[in-house]
Amino acid sequence: MPDVIKTADSERLRDGLLMSKGALRMQSVGALAGRSILIAIASSSLIAILFIFYFIIRDALPFFQIEGIREFLTSTRWYPSREEAEFGALAIFFGSALVTLGAVVVAVPMGVLAALCLSDILPFSIRQVVKPVIEMLAAIPSVVYGFFALVVFAPLMQERGGSMLAAGAWIIFAPLAVLATAVLSDLLSSRLDGKARLVSQIVSVALVGGLFLAGLLRMHGFLVGLTIVSGTNALNVSIILGIMALPTIVSVSEDALNAVGRDLREGSYALGATRAETLLRVVVPAARSGIMAAVILGVMRAIGETMVVWMASGNAARIPGPWFNFLEPIRTLTATIAGDMGEADHVTGSARYHVLFVMALCLLMFAFISNLASEIILRRARKRGSV
Amino acid sequence: MLDGSFSTVGVIAIVLMFISLVILLGPIFARGFGAFVFKGTVEYRKLMLDKFGRGDRERIIAEVAGAAKTREPVYELMEQFRVELKEKDYDYRSRYGQPFKELEELVEDLFGPAPGSSMPVLVRGQYGQTRWDRANVKLGNILFIEEYDYSDSSKMGELVLVPRADLFAGTSLEPLFRLLESDIEKMMRPRTTVYWRFLFDGSYDSHFFGGIWPELLGTFYLAIGAMLFAVPLGVITAIYLAEYAGDSRFVSLLRTCISSLAGVPSIVFGLFGLAFFINAIHVSPSKSVLAGSFTLALLVLPTVIRASEEAIKAVPRSYKEGAMSLGAGKWRTVVTVILPAALPGILTSIIISLGRAAGETAPIIFTAAVSVGKPLALWETMSQPTPALPWNIYNLATEHEAVDEIRHVQYGMVVTLIVLVLLLNITAIVLRARISKKLRG
Amino acid sequence: MNNDIGELRKPEIRGPDRSPDRTGSIITAKDFSVYYWKKAAVSEVSFDIPARQVTAIIGPSGCGKSTFLRAINRMNDLIPGCTTSGLLSLGGQDLYSSKVDVVSLRKMVGMVFQKPNPFPKSIFDNVAYGPRIHGARDRGALSNIVRRSLERAALWDEVKGRLSDNALGLSGGQQQRLCIARAIAVEPKILLMDEPASALDPQSTSRIEDLIGELRREYTIVIVTHNMQQAARVSDMTAFFYEGDLIEFGETTQIFTNPTEKRTEDYITGRFG
Ligand SMILES: Nc1ncnc2c1ncn2[C@@H]1O[C@H](COP(=O)(O)OP(=O)(O)O)[C@@H](O)[C@H]1O
Ligand SMILES: [Mg+2]
Repeated sequence: MPDVIKTADSERLRDGLLMSKGALRMQSVGALAGRSILIAIASSSLIAILFIFYFIIRDALPFFQIEGIREFLTSTRWYPSREEAEFGALAIFFGSALVTLGAVVVAVPMGVLAALCLSDILPFSIRQVVKPVIEMLAAIPSVVYGFFALVVFAPLMQERGGSMLAAGAWIIFAPLAVLATAVLSDLLSSRLDGKARLVSQIVSVALVGGLFLAGLLRMHGFLVGLTIVSGTNALNVSIILGIMALPTIVSVSEDALNAVGRDLREGSYALGATRAETLLRVVVPAARSGIMAAVILGVMRAIGETMVVWMASGNAARIPGPWFNFLEPIRTLTATIAGDMGEADHVTGSARYHVLFVMALCLLMFAFISNLASEIILRRARKRGSV
Repeated sequence: MLDGSFSTVGVIAIVLMFISLVILLGPIFARGFGAFVFKGTVEYRKLMLDKFGRGDRERIIAEVAGAAKTREPVYELMEQFRVELKEKDYDYRSRYGQPFKELEELVEDLFGPAPGSSMPVLVRGQYGQTRWDRANVKLGNILFIEEYDYSDSSKMGELVLVPRADLFAGTSLEPLFRLLESDIEKMMRPRTTVYWRFLFDGSYDSHFFGGIWPELLGTFYLAIGAMLFAVPLGVITAIYLAEYAGDSRFVSLLRTCISSLAGVPSIVFGLFGLAFFINAIHVSPSKSVLAGSFTLALLVLPTVIRASEEAIKAVPRSYKEGAMSLGAGKWRTVVTVILPAALPGILTSIIISLGRAAGETAPIIFTAAVSVGKPLALWETMSQPTPALPWNIYNLATEHEAVDEIRHVQYGMVVTLIVLVLLLNITAIVLRARISKKLRG
Repeated sequence: MNNDIGELRKPEIRGPDRSPDRTGSIITAKDFSVYYWKKAAVSEVSFDIPARQVTAIIGPSGCGKSTFLRAINRMNDLIPGCTTSGLLSLGGQDLYSSKVDVVSLRKMVGMVFQKPNPFPKSIFDNVAYGPRIHGARDRGALSNIVRRSLERAALWDEVKGRLSDNALGLSGGQQQRLCIARAIAVEPKILLMDEPASALDPQSTSRIEDLIGELRREYTIVIVTHNMQQAARVSDMTAFFYEGDLIEFGETTQIFTNPTEKRTEDYITGRFG
């Protein structure tokens, strides 16, 4: 092959390609500077998180010096404004836990079922309608939920609490009972064949269904007889928080369910499984980490919510008696911070001020750990190849 | 059967979600509407003329005079009874003195100060009921006394209404009640009123009268201020993550931080804003719009980052290759090709975050919000706190001295906030639908 | 694939002049390899691409044609894990030397992609994009450049009335010609085309081929194609790649009528690929 023929043209080409040393250095310096600026700006979230931790801890620490930690964690006596101030926050922690539990009970079954429905059952066109509804539920500001809970829901509950509760219980538990009956009877008779199977199915449906029905009727009787003294209570807040946590739970678990491959589903159908069997035995187990992450995020939403609990929980810093009595007013960490800081604001430096930062620190730690947990769960699942 | 019941339960869950949305929004919209369209009484028109200079002066003065004329018999009856009370013996006086005083107050509540009496200082005392629905409530208070019947000790006390006329039976005051009941329309002259200026009027006497402009403006300031800080930070971070960052340790740490920031409870942002922006670096001497905007910016930052990153990643690679093949450097490619193509998606994320920032309450409690205040001028936002819709909804619904009297204002604020946020979200949804259509073909 | 060799036009000798630098080689590869994460996609190829001629690279899919083409304007730099060894030079200058300015290189070496990729901007802004980033600001000068580029890309008559319309509204063939106009607007010396017609209908394809015939007067064109009739129709020289190796390189007439390598013959007669 002939060597490169150096003509005037290729000389010019070559000169055009090269960069002088100065330009080269300029370019690399420029690139470095640009990149550093970019990284500095991109680190703003990292800096924000560090600062948040630093400043919350900085203002929380003095409380431990002034008051110590024992009373805070073990006593239920919360009298921060007295002469002899008492800072027992146990009841407040309990309140936060109680309403979060309530919200989980309301939101998780409904949210996961709705997600299943969206990913596997409903036709595409209906999903297109449901999605915006979920987005709207998520978009409504929390103070609006709080206003609703306080001004509309609480009086309603006070007036016809019993019958309302009963109706709500029917709406929620009756379908669940039917579902449970179906699942149980199916499981009980799965080993049998032919006629025996049919008989066993009928018998088990009658038995289990009857049992559930009796339970529901008793519950109805109990609930209708209830009188609710105050509409601003843990139940009110739990229901509203549950509705607020729904969008998170639905959309995260729907993503998880959608990530379960089509082939897995089709494999199950190919083996002759029905849709319900496929969902229960294949899809949900495969998506369980994602659903778990969804529940964690929902819990975070509920425990971190301020306005609803502040407005509609009754703000009574004591443990209900018995502890699961959702009809009594409670008080949460977030509401305590919001409510007490107004008064503690101008006494910066007092134990009253710092104790609120201790509470914020607890919330922050909880959120941080839950977040890490959900991330780790999701990451592991991704590695396994089944979100 | 299992299949069927499974689908049914799922559908019920979805229907329940629909129902909760309807139950939530239904009453709020229905009653919030009443802040804008209601039956206004003559007192309303008088107030509008006095305080805002609105309406046909001659006609309103004539109307007020006409109403005053129809009210005259009421005051005459009361004057007569007052004289009677003075002349009668101690027994009579001690029997009717207190109830009569109560009645006088109730009438003043309904009609405003009696002719000839001194003008109250508070604006709320200077006018009678401006809204027909409130006037009827007040009239009810005059006509009936609410009492609780505790005779059945097994139950809670039951509410019973006792006609107040019974109290004054046999006195010269007795006809007053029938007169009020029959002539109240003439005395108050209700007329359907559209008060769209509710949005743009300032309030009088801590929201007894007037509109919500200071709150609305404050919300705009806070939300837009938050975006001013969050958008540059968020979009540049998104560019970094989508175009420059590889898979290094640092990047995964950064991602963890972003999701952690998204999980921080909003009240903690509020405390942090107080401790950092106000107490530590003193962006303003005390609460201010600026401090609130900073705090809200941190809150929406993760949303902006995530959505913008997605929008940038959705830009076809071929655009980037095209630009680079023409000799554009990386940053140039990002600025001239990738960002413009990702703009609709980024805009969607900004709109959603804007709605979020407008609706958040907890972060601004300690950093920016006050219950009562004037609309701020732009430069005042650097140093002054502001009323804001979310905070004032809380405040008026729980801490206001007359929570029940101003329900319509509360509902009006709630509806305004919801409409604002939902409009932003619907815009975002429509925008997103159009983008995905475009991307598909 | 239909491989009726009889149908192939014998490439006529086009263009009146064969000036000295036309016969000189402009791009030289010597033992040049490209790796993705240590795996060679192009291994030790050596050949000279002549200036102001059309050189076609053919070969079965996955044989490294695109990889080699993208090495010429260093578009592979964008791909993580992509490295090179050996020599690839342009006008005698090693392209992978640290002194080479990639921006100038890409200005000199334009590229047209398999799928038309106009920016979601107006037709005018698409063509003006390159000149603008290389410093042209003057509106009048830009208009001239845009017009000339569009004329040379045989698109002017179709779009002259709607230069401010969005380029995504054009048909596929028009979009591809727009991309060619966009590439020549920066006055490159070399045009790289990676299967420029494979996503187009036959009519647009023939327009693009005619255009290539026009452009070869001024530019050195390297075109990747897996359509052998196309290679035969438009190119002066042909390189046959197979699994990363250069099997044969020569004049198109020779390659298509009288290949020296068995594998070349097998490929162009359709025995594989
Ligand atoms: N980005 C990449 N990363 C890793 N391997 C790649 C990449 N692009 C191409 N390859 C591999 O390099 C080889 C050559 O690819 P390519 O040059 O695109 O082939 P052609 O264009 O001839 O069809 C193929 O085996 C392909 O799998
Ligand atoms: Mg290719």
